[in-house]
Amino acid sequence: MNLENRKRELAKEFSPMLEKTSNASKILMGFLIAIILVGVYAFFVQLFEGHIVTGMRDNVVWGVYIINFIFFVCLSYSGAFFSGILHFIHTPWKNSVSRIVEIVTVLSLIIGPIFILLCIGRLDRLHYLFLYPRIQSPITWDIIAIMTDLVGCFIYLFLTFIPDLAILRDNSENAPKWRQKVYKFLAIGYQDTPTQRKKLHKITGALSVIIIALAIVAYSVLAWIFSLTPQPGWNSSIFGAYFIIAGLYSGIGVIIIAMFLIRKYYPLNHYIRKVHFMGAGMVLLVISLLYGYFTFSEYFSRWFGHKIHDAELLDTLFTRYFWMFIFANYIGVLVPVVIIFFKKLRTIKSITFAAVIAVIGLWYNRYLIVVPTLESPYIPIQDTREEFIHYTATWVEWSLSLAGVAAFILFFMLIMKLVPVVPMSGIIDYERKQKKNKKSLNKL
Amino acid sequence: MKSINYRYTIITSLIIALLFSFNGFAQELDASNYKMRLSLSTVKQPDNSRLFEVSFIGQNKEDRKDKLPVFEAEIKFYNEDNLLGQAKTSYDGIAQFTVPADQNYITDEDGYINVLAKFEGSDGLDEDEDDIQFKNLFLELNLEEIDSVNTVLVRAFIIDSAGVETPIEGVNVIVSVDGMFSKRKLEEVIIEEGEFQFAFPIDIPGDVNGDVLVYSMINDSDDYGTVIQSKTVNWGVFKNKIRTEENKLWTDAAPIWMYIVLTLMLLGVWASFLYSVISLFKIKKEGKEIEGSQTQLHTEQ
Repeated sequence: MNLENRKRELAKEFSPMLEKTSNASKILMGFLIAIILVGVYAFFVQLFEGHIVTGMRDNVVWGVYIINFIFFVCLSYSGAFFSGILHFIHTPWKNSVSRIVEIVTVLSLIIGPIFILLCIGRLDRLHYLFLYPRIQSPITWDIIAIMTDLVGCFIYLFLTFIPDLAILRDNSENAPKWRQKVYKFLAIGYQDTPTQRKKLHKITGALSVIIIALAIVAYSVLAWIFSLTPQPGWNSSIFGAYFIIAGLYSGIGVIIIAMFLIRKYYPLNHYIRKVHFMGAGMVLLVISLLYGYFTFSEYFSRWFGHKIHDAELLDTLFTRYFWMFIFANYIGVLVPVVIIFFKKLRTIKSITFAAVIAVIGLWYNRYLIVVPTLESPYIPIQDTREEFIHYTATWVEWSLSLAGVAAFILFFMLIMKLVPVVPMSGIIDYERKQKKNKKSLNKL
Repeated sequence: MKSINYRYTIITSLIIALLFSFNGFAQELDASNYKMRLSLSTVKQPDNSRLFEVSFIGQNKEDRKDKLPVFEAEIKFYNEDNLLGQAKTSYDGIAQFTVPADQNYITDEDGYINVLAKFEGSDGLDEDEDDIQFKNLFLELNLEEIDSVNTVLVRAFIIDSAGVETPIEGVNVIVSVDGMFSKRKLEEVIIEEGEFQFAFPIDIPGDVNGDVLVYSMINDSDDYGTVIQSKTVNWGVFKNKIRTEENKLWTDAAPIWMYIVLTLMLLGVWASFLYSVISLFKIKKEGKEIEGSQTQLHTEQ
């Protein structure tokens, strides 16, 4: 294999995806920008009029913003977990999904904490978190964990980009000047020499281990923000593990959806194949069973214990939130299990459908963790008004939520314009290994 | 028409029946059912003024638990024939009158002060009166540190007509301290030779400033009535000192182990990030060297 020729071939294959934007993509980007602008307007409405424009009041102080925060941050942690694991799996199919996972990781960790900033009433006091941190508080731990994880995932993502950026730097003579400059700058002089390759693999391997551990610790810390309070509905010893499993569940779901959409709208059928959906589907199946078990264990022990406040919370869940509860904890678990369990039902579309159900179910699961619990306060709130007890999100909150999702998709598309979504360096590494193995076999 | 007349007849009959019902009249108070009791008591207060208190209450002859206080009844207080003052009873049937400390009482040949409380009667009530005899006792309470011991000294005496202090004997004196809800008794002594003393306990915390309010009291004595004396002294001792906690989950500073664990974890993680960045710089440096040598090669060619 002539390495340089192969790199040129791959660069030629992937360059159109980077440099050309179809009309459909432009329309989609325009639509996403429009949603984001509506969100920006909603933000300013909230900034100038205060949180009265949201549904949050004295009783339910956390709403859709916190739910989105948990959802996106858990997505990020699961992405970090999967990308760390994938690094150590030496299979040919991992290359096609690894970059998708890494991009999901970083983008989720950028979008997620923004929702926390939206939830904070006094942004002018944000710096107090850093000037007067309370080391005993899980919220302080979460801030440290998110910041550390963000830096780690950024570095890890960049490390995986370097070889591809180097290939593009060397094979983008026809590309615009600005693009050539960007590739040259970001490639940091990587020439794919054995010493450079060795160094890069070493630090990538080390960071893979670190981000797996970091993901688990950060997950747990996020869960502890809830479980270390005495609030019924939150005070649970299994919340850490439960959040990890739920995060992995939503993470694999989003990865499947991303694979489906990328495969549908980009000519990457050759790279993202049915085997990827089958593999991801199996992971989804296993995690859905674990998630179902944890959910059952959580609610069963509350029901059996029959503590007054737990009983009140369960009553709220089974009356006011009945259908949401059914979707999150029954449909969201059983539909993916049924689809993936039976071989006949396992198609790319059905697995993607299962992933969509899982992701929606998990968003509802976060909603059920946050809102009904706050509507059933542990200590009675004095002088509360009837209209404060129940929470309903307003257009401001929904606009900002949709803006977050739109930003996620938009940034994903923009990153796909910078580097190929399937790592070219991974393809070359795989072919290099194949050749090496073939040579060894011939020698034998 | 017939039915309307019939209805009106029914209503009229009912009204008449109600009017002539045994219980149909509004109740009027029949004072003859009640026996009026007027009782007089006296308390000598810590500032040596004397409070005279009259309780004027009617008690039902048949049901002793049924008590009816008389209010707005004018009570006059006399010392012999000398009118000391007057007061009206409250809604509780209590009339209070305070005589200043410098009042010169008229005493009888035995040295007793006779005070009469008189209700001169009204349209519905007959006149009533009650009297008490007492001697004007002086109760001194001193709180001093003697030989490094906090000591309570109590003196009780009367001053005769010649102005001579005569110590009293055989009277029950209680020394107590003020508590949150009631008084705590420290000593109860039948006073001999007009004085006694004892060491103040060392386990009384007092209020937040360490101040203790000490009372000495003679309660309802036949000869002296009720006499109260009080003083405040800063003798409070906190038995259990408030310990300030540090490095707990709930204090400003976190437990030490938290600092250590967090620092070690963060150091480990950020050290790996730093290592990665340094390695990237090394990769960049090597890349520059290779580019430089390639450029030199091209130039030479």
